[in-house]
Amino acid sequence: MTAAQARRVVWIHGDSLSVTDPALSACPDAPALFVFDRPFLQAVPVAFPRLAFMYQGVRDLAAHRPGLTEIRVGAVPDELAAFAAAHHAAELHVTRNFTPDFARIVDGLRAARPDLRIIIHEPERLTSFDGPLRRFFGFWKKVEREVLHGEPAPDFPRRGHR
Amino acid sequence: MTDALRLPPDLLDDQLPRVLGEALTGLYTGEPRLPARVGGRTAGLAALHAWTGEGYAGRNFLSGNVSRLSMYLRHGMLGLREVAAHARAVMRGRERDEFLRQLTWAEFYRLVLRQEGARVLGNLEDPKYPARWTDTLPDDVREARTGLPCADAWVTHLVRDGWLHNHERLWFAAYLVHWRGVDWRSGYALFREHLLDGDIANNALSWQWVASTFSNKPYFMNQENIDRYSGGRWCRTCRAECPFRASYGELETQLFGTRP
Repeated sequence: MTAAQARRVVWIHGDSLSVTDPALSACPDAPALFVFDRPFLQAVPVAFPRLAFMYQGVRDLAAHRPGLTEIRVGAVPDELAAFAAAHHAAELHVTRNFTPDFARIVDGLRAARPDLRIIIHEPERLTSFDGPLRRFFGFWKKVEREVLHGEPAPDFPRRGHR
Repeated sequence: MTDALRLPPDLLDDQLPRVLGEALTGLYTGEPRLPARVGGRTAGLAALHAWTGEGYAGRNFLSGNVSRLSMYLRHGMLGLREVAAHARAVMRGRERDEFLRQLTWAEFYRLVLRQEGARVLGNLEDPKYPARWTDTLPDDVREARTGLPCADAWVTHLVRDGWLHNHERLWFAAYLVHWRGVDWRSGYALFREHLLDGDIANNALSWQWVASTFSNKPYFMNQENIDRYSGGRWCRTCRAECPFRASYGELETQLFGTRP
């Protein structure tokens, strides 16, 4: 089966609660799953309004996309594996975030479902800077022009001289 | 098969505290209640389009016009690029440049998290003064009964709104870390519990910026600064023994030791 024909599901996490999320945009019709992470929430105190805010985010995107959107409470890798199996998916799409939890969950899913292709989409960036970072001021000096004016400035066309 | 609970994706707001509260029993703190702001891209876009940025020059005042878009950015409900594009379109001059510079902190912190990973949850650098911090968040701070009207208000606002003005965040962090001698990670955990915009990158790295483990010097304030930027909100009627009432030089010596 080629990638274009593969059945897909999307993992929606707490940094991707919008229909404009790169993984959701790539698979608008695919079933998508958001999981309230039970082991994490058992270990880490989080006030209810934060969780309700996230629920409202999932609810909003569910109302604005053609594909199925499901919400579960459980261990994220287990739920993703079960969701992919229920939809006979060969691919799972997700947008990367840089939290340690993201890497842990992807590793857990790979272990549970080695046959499932995990396609990781890159998150949107404000700048194209990719060097090492230490202090904001130094970073700002490098990206200032790009941020203030939008796209990175292309080389200015030289008028009148060829 | 898993023992997962499934939730319908179309609960109305007035059903949300009860139904989501039951589904998440044992998995949250406090009472099940709606957030102070509605989550979701639709609400985020409405907030973005309603925001003109007028008066952003006064952003350091608690009464200043700040965007309050951070909780939408944190969850990807709004993107940094579209917020930047909106600012470029509706704002002018130095206010526009300053807003875009502030927005860029979010990108900076995300990239630092990408670079450092879980290391951002520990001191990235040694503190720039001889710090002796305790791990525990004092009960009087958590319960907003320090006896300082300002400090108690910061905690009350945090819990009630899931949001604090940036200056309130800085004041509270400096109070906890420098005056009370508490490790920044306890403050980080309190913010993570309540802030609608709380994420690892912004939260941990901002605390480290105040604590001086990700900056060249600790951030601190004095009473005059609180009075000025709060518009006298607490200081005018305050009868407490104010720990912030001194010059910056005096406080620097008191908090961080005499400079060589």
